[in-house]
Amino acid sequence: MPELSDFQADFAAALRERGRTPGMERWLAGAGDLVDRRMAIYRANMVAAAEKALASGYPVIRQVVGNDFFHGLAREYQRGTPSASGDLTDYGATFDAFLADFEHVQSMPWLPDLARLEWAAHRAYGAADAPDWDPSSLAAIEPERQAAIRFLWAPGTAVVVSSHPIVRIWTIHQPGYDGEFSVDWTRADTALVARDGFLVRVSECSPADASFIAASLAGATFGDATAATLADHPHFDLGALLARAIPARLVCGFTL
Amino acid sequence: MLAANALVSGTGIGLRQPHYREVFERRPPLAFLEVHSENFFLEGGASMHALERARAAYPISLHGVGLSLGSADTLAGEHLAKLERLVDRIEPALVSEHLCWGGVGGLHFNDLLPLPYTGEALALLADRIDHVQTRLKRRILVENLSAYVECRHSEMSETAFLAELARRTGCGLLLDVNNLYVNAMNFGFDPVARLGELEPASVVQMHLAGHTVVDDCLIDTHGSLVGDPVWSLYAQACRRFGPRPTLIEWDTDLPALDVLLSQAAQAEAIAQREAAHA
Repeated sequence: MPELSDFQADFAAALRERGRTPGMERWLAGAGDLVDRRMAIYRANMVAAAEKALASGYPVIRQVVGNDFFHGLAREYQRGTPSASGDLTDYGATFDAFLADFEHVQSMPWLPDLARLEWAAHRAYGAADAPDWDPSSLAAIEPERQAAIRFLWAPGTAVVVSSHPIVRIWTIHQPGYDGEFSVDWTRADTALVARDGFLVRVSECSPADASFIAASLAGATFGDATAATLADHPHFDLGALLARAIPARLVCGFTL
Repeated sequence: MLAANALVSGTGIGLRQPHYREVFERRPPLAFLEVHSENFFLEGGASMHALERARAAYPISLHGVGLSLGSADTLAGEHLAKLERLVDRIEPALVSEHLCWGGVGGLHFNDLLPLPYTGEALALLADRIDHVQTRLKRRILVENLSAYVECRHSEMSETAFLAELARRTGCGLLLDVNNLYVNAMNFGFDPVARLGELEPASVVQMHLAGHTVVDDCLIDTHGSLVGDPVWSLYAQACRRFGPRPTLIEWDTDLPALDVLLSQAAQAEAIAQREAAHA
């Protein structure tokens, strides 16, 4: 008796083939050319699902390269990185690496960093809502213990460091943007991605602030993150960063 | 004992992002709102907030498209865990999945792929549905599929398969009238006769949607008005099964909210008219 697993393995292999689908006549009713045409519907659905998921994660890249080219990117990405889950929320996490290698986008060297920024914004969109926190609890910690504090950043907070003007590109492609569209291609943007209520905010941030936030997000203590940042950025102003980050509720707690 | 689905009667529509604001402001008189479960596998943020707002005003139907109940792979535990968290958070009136598989060998095609209707598949599906109902502590509904290919080695019709699944597991059925019509045209069978294979009590919900005709094939696109033959088949289904909570399902080329509300009103009128005949 035919086995369900054999049928599904053959069907899956046929979906991953381009063009004809030899072997499926054994399983599927109808003449070979009919089976080929019908399998093509499923093959198109598979690519469309991947494209829709990528378009939801990378709306700016889609605008920048155009719908037709984006369709081609999605098809190529899907071929090399097929979905492994019925939940497409996280599909496309490696799109930046794909873009860095894909020969037809080498004229846009800023595309992989833009992808990293869009992915961080996509993750922030569905991140948990930040818990309420009373910052005065921080002031209660004795000064000699403060270096051991580990900050808890609001879910979704991320930094993306680039040698390209990614924040500018992102900004001028937002819905409702009505400013001018010039881009200074010599700019190197460092992006801070953060949730503000239910909105996702992308803003420029100094490389020093980004260094501290990245170290802290990775789990470094307050003392270690500060020391690491000062080593590369001697003018890092921690007080100024915290004076912005705490009222903006980027920091929403700490552990000690 | 599985908890019964909360009582819902009448017609509903899919809640899609472009309509959020208008639905919340107008509060149209709908029996329920349906969403795709997987679109809300999120920790928080604007989408979850919108769903919780919708939940405060309407019963919610969670319609899954990715659990892949019929895959020869083991059931995706993480996916089921996410669904369980969503069900706990939203307390939906209805939870449904499809009679299909979506992937195998560790891959997922994110599509609803047809099964062979065999004893082997029936045993697998019955086990899976038992497992999901136990885990979610509630009855789930299983929907018939639209399909473009048919397995040669099927031993029964899809509807006979669903009827047997309902008998074995106590699951409810979500009868997608458009899917049944699409398959009847694609494979050449009488859809009314297939309605006769289902026990009225097992049919808990119905779906209506538009399809597209491409060459020799009807494709279930959910992007247009419900077709006339589908309305007539819906009337036959209402006559056989009685009025059931019915969804106007529209996923692509989303029209104005009023178009969906008018389709919902048409479904409601048919259900009422047929109930008077029953």
